[in-house]
Amino acid sequence: MSGKTILRTLSGSILCAVVAAGLLAGSLTHYSYDRQFREAPNATPSALHPLGTDSLGRDLLARLAYGTRVSLVLAPAAALLATLIAGLFGGIAGLAGGWSEKLILSAADLSMALPLLFVLIALRALLPLDVSPLISVVATFVTLGALGWPASLRVVWAAARNLRNSDFLLLARASGCTPARILLRHVMPNLRPVLFAQFWVSIPLFVLTEATLSMLGLGVMEPLPSWGNLLKGLEDFSAVRANPWMLSPLVLLVGVVVCFQLILPAEEALT
Amino acid sequence: MKVRFTRTLACFLFLLSALAVYAQSGSELRFCLHGEPKTFDPALVDDEASENVRYMTGGVLIRLNRQTQALEPGLATSWQISKDGHKITFHLRKGLSFSDGTPFTSEDVAYTMRRLMDPQMHSSTGDAFRSGEGAVDVQTPAPELVVITFPAPVAGLERLFDQVAIVSAHSPKKEMAVLGPYSVAEYKSGAYVLLQRNPNYWKHDAQGRSLPYIESVRLDIQRNREIELMRFRRGELHLINRLDAEQFDHLQHDDPAVTRNAGTGLDAEEFWFNQSPAAPLPEFKKEWFRTMEFRRAVSLAINREDLCRIVFAGHAKPAYGPVSPSNQFWFNAALPAPKHDPQGALRLLTQAGFRYEKNVLKDHAGNPVEFTVVTNSGNVAREKMATMIQQDLSQIGIKMNVVTLDFPSLIERMTRTFDYDAFLLGLVNTDLDPNSQMTVWLSSGENHQWNPSQKTPATAWEAEIDKLMQEQASTLNERQRKAQFDRVQQIVAEQQPFLYLVNKDVLTAVSPAVVGAAPVVLNPQAFWNVETLQVKPLPEMGANR
Amino acid sequence: MDERELDPRLSSASREAIRKEHRLQSGLISYYGTYLTRAAQGNFGRSEWLERPIAGLLKERFPLTLRSVVLGLLTAWAAALFLSLAALYSRGWFLDLTGTLFSGLLIALPGAVVALLAMYFRAPVFVAIGVVTFPKLFRYLRNLLLHAYEQPYVLAARARGVGQARLLLRHVLPLAAPPVAALLGVSISMAFGAAIPIEALCDSPGIGQLAWLAALNRDLPLIVTLTLLVTLVTVAANSAADLLHQRAQ
Repeated sequence: MSGKTILRTLSGSILCAVVAAGLLAGSLTHYSYDRQFREAPNATPSALHPLGTDSLGRDLLARLAYGTRVSLVLAPAAALLATLIAGLFGGIAGLAGGWSEKLILSAADLSMALPLLFVLIALRALLPLDVSPLISVVATFVTLGALGWPASLRVVWAAARNLRNSDFLLLARASGCTPARILLRHVMPNLRPVLFAQFWVSIPLFVLTEATLSMLGLGVMEPLPSWGNLLKGLEDFSAVRANPWMLSPLVLLVGVVVCFQLILPAEEALT
Repeated sequence: MKVRFTRTLACFLFLLSALAVYAQSGSELRFCLHGEPKTFDPALVDDEASENVRYMTGGVLIRLNRQTQALEPGLATSWQISKDGHKITFHLRKGLSFSDGTPFTSEDVAYTMRRLMDPQMHSSTGDAFRSGEGAVDVQTPAPELVVITFPAPVAGLERLFDQVAIVSAHSPKKEMAVLGPYSVAEYKSGAYVLLQRNPNYWKHDAQGRSLPYIESVRLDIQRNREIELMRFRRGELHLINRLDAEQFDHLQHDDPAVTRNAGTGLDAEEFWFNQSPAAPLPEFKKEWFRTMEFRRAVSLAINREDLCRIVFAGHAKPAYGPVSPSNQFWFNAALPAPKHDPQGALRLLTQAGFRYEKNVLKDHAGNPVEFTVVTNSGNVAREKMATMIQQDLSQIGIKMNVVTLDFPSLIERMTRTFDYDAFLLGLVNTDLDPNSQMTVWLSSGENHQWNPSQKTPATAWEAEIDKLMQEQASTLNERQRKAQFDRVQQIVAEQQPFLYLVNKDVLTAVSPAVVGAAPVVLNPQAFWNVETLQVKPLPEMGANR
Repeated sequence: MDERELDPRLSSASREAIRKEHRLQSGLISYYGTYLTRAAQGNFGRSEWLERPIAGLLKERFPLTLRSVVLGLLTAWAAALFLSLAALYSRGWFLDLTGTLFSGLLIALPGAVVALLAMYFRAPVFVAIGVVTFPKLFRYLRNLLLHAYEQPYVLAARARGVGQARLLLRHVLPLAAPPVAALLGVSISMAFGAAIPIEALCDSPGIGQLAWLAALNRDLPLIVTLTLLVTLVTVAANSAADLLHQRAQ
């Protein structure tokens, strides 16, 4: 096996392990993520608390496990939403051409010029999130998904445009296929790999954006843990020096994003 | 060529460092403001940063000594209040001038008061004087005599003048000409405010040297407490006015000499339930919140000692009333201070018709007790407290959700839509006298948070509080006022419209380079005596810049 | 909605006056309509939270952010170009691999963490912005250059025996110029986006910190103006790049 394949398999297995740990968080640790051990705040790792506790006495391992669930399960959902939107509009732009193509492309270009974080912040400020933390999490990721499509759109559009001018599509149309059938039987299967590549590439991007948002205090609300939430504790340098295991969410985050990158690098997906 | 260049460079660097050392010895006090000062006009000051600047630049008639909590003469050498409490006469110091040389006379005091009381100004400092309908009349019979007549007696009148910084009526510099120890020399938005020594400041020390000792004060605008702490440790800042409990502990561990705990502060953290009839809540919920036993049970179930120990690292004390024990005159020591008692809470609830079965508390109709508490986002300590209270209440079967909101949404819910179950916020007490909190205690008041702006008192106890507050506002007898407000505190302790949680300690850090610092609990805690502070250059600090 | 409303010292009249100051927005569309017409006249309105004209705030804070972003982008571009060209020049695998690994690691750091590290190491703000933009730039550049390197046109030049340096400068770079110019616009957008968490956490008084504080205080006029401003800057940069590229042709 080539070095690349080894790396890919390794990354893939690591990712599966982390996702599994997140989904099975309940069996990994028998503490809930919000149970406060008031006799032991800011504890260093021990047999009872393998990673120590935070300032309120909550078990860090439990928070890390449940936080993995939030970050790693909702990021793909946001990526799915973004990819579907990009797929829809990119497909229409590429296949239909004409003014719809121009319109969609200029909208995408304009959206690309908007820095994602500015728009996210503006949207979040518009909606008073006075709902439960769970709904706030879902809303954050839905917003991410709804705003993350421009980057993927160009790629999908390019692929769709190539398809439009391709020979076999011409053949299909010449032989009298209905547009619906063309869409279903010819376009979709060809666009699928492109869409999947975009989906895959968006996931780490959304994980990172959520982390930054939460560290700014605009993401997932307490007491629900997420990687970004847990990273907020890093702002207190002396606490980190006292318990270096507080860096574990960062290590996990970096590791997971690197794995995603190793499986399918972003710039490969863009060309 | 190369040699010449190196030599010039060396000379230049030497000059620079000499300049730096010289600048250090020019004595400058450096610390941080935690927000942007919104205004330098003393009449419009409303936020903490502006108030800090006003404290150091404004000259006042009567100064409240932050350490002794007693009143001292300021620009006024003496004053008399008439028997009926309507009139106050000030005798002003003679021969004083503003920072730009404009002479100070009673005209300036008249101008300041009229400006402050201008209804168009909407000054909160001015509104504090508004005890009744009618205009305030200011007379200046002589250049050093001012007579101010109020339409109705103002309780605690003298103390209010501590907030009134006198502005010049004639100076071309308007509000920037000041009578305090410092004047604003430079202001770079988002970066810093530089205060320069006022050469015309009237105060002298016992040896006759003119105050203040320190040449300039540099206030950096720094929101991030971690960065502030880092800069303090590096010697770039001379003091930190308010430290978090955790930061205090870390600093104390490294260098115990710099940390100062001034004692229990005046601020309290409070929790209250929505009792407004206009609230868009289901009727059964409203019923819970209106039941006194429910509120008292929640209060009993909250473990205040744990809150103090864990959220504030022991630098706080449980609070049971609106007045902190540091407010020596107004504190009611006879208030009950019940310890954490979940069993007692459950007994109270059963008395009121609630049932506790299978770890869930249900009311008499069978509805499980569940509510949401709202607090402001960005305040880590409050979020932690809410999380801890969540666990405390789960032990008596109550499910409490925590929601953090930005301030604008918070205010909307609190004052307009009344769309909330409970609030957890902090009560910031800058004034010792409870009379400034009239709109909180009067049932018709807009700050009567649990049920504001009532047309008629909704309950008998609120009516009693109304009566007591009106009485204490119209009498000048301090003993009588205290007795009346003690009774108000008693009623509040029985009915628990506000559940008081903790009184935080005032934690400051003072660099060893500062001489004469004596942090106190009243605002501004660490630099209330800025005019008598001195900065001495430390050998190891000279290199830092 | 004003914090001042909570001050118990205020009289009812003052409170009413404060409430009147904050006009309720009737609807999103009408709000944006009035906003755009006023913005066209140069009046960007007042910040609700800071109670100052927004134009003044922008004038004070924008230069600082612009400086950090420009310096950060220059460092990032310089580093990315240098590294990718060097990797191509050497034709070996070492530089390429190190660059890829290093940038891969940096990409995985959230912008806020980079900000914290910058704060800890007392690094200036533009370094943090450069660190955040560099890895993505490097990876795209590397790919673009590699793609251009493998074009038949370049291959032909190599076959003719053109030297590596001349090859890179005279053949590869011009070929890769159009997508690289497009990358410039994207990088500007990235840098401004990164400026928000970095300025917020490093306490740097630029428009990034302003946007974050505006979000925390739900100051809609301020956020909208800031987003518009940054968009305009990016679009302007993009158009300038396009223009230059067309001129070059």
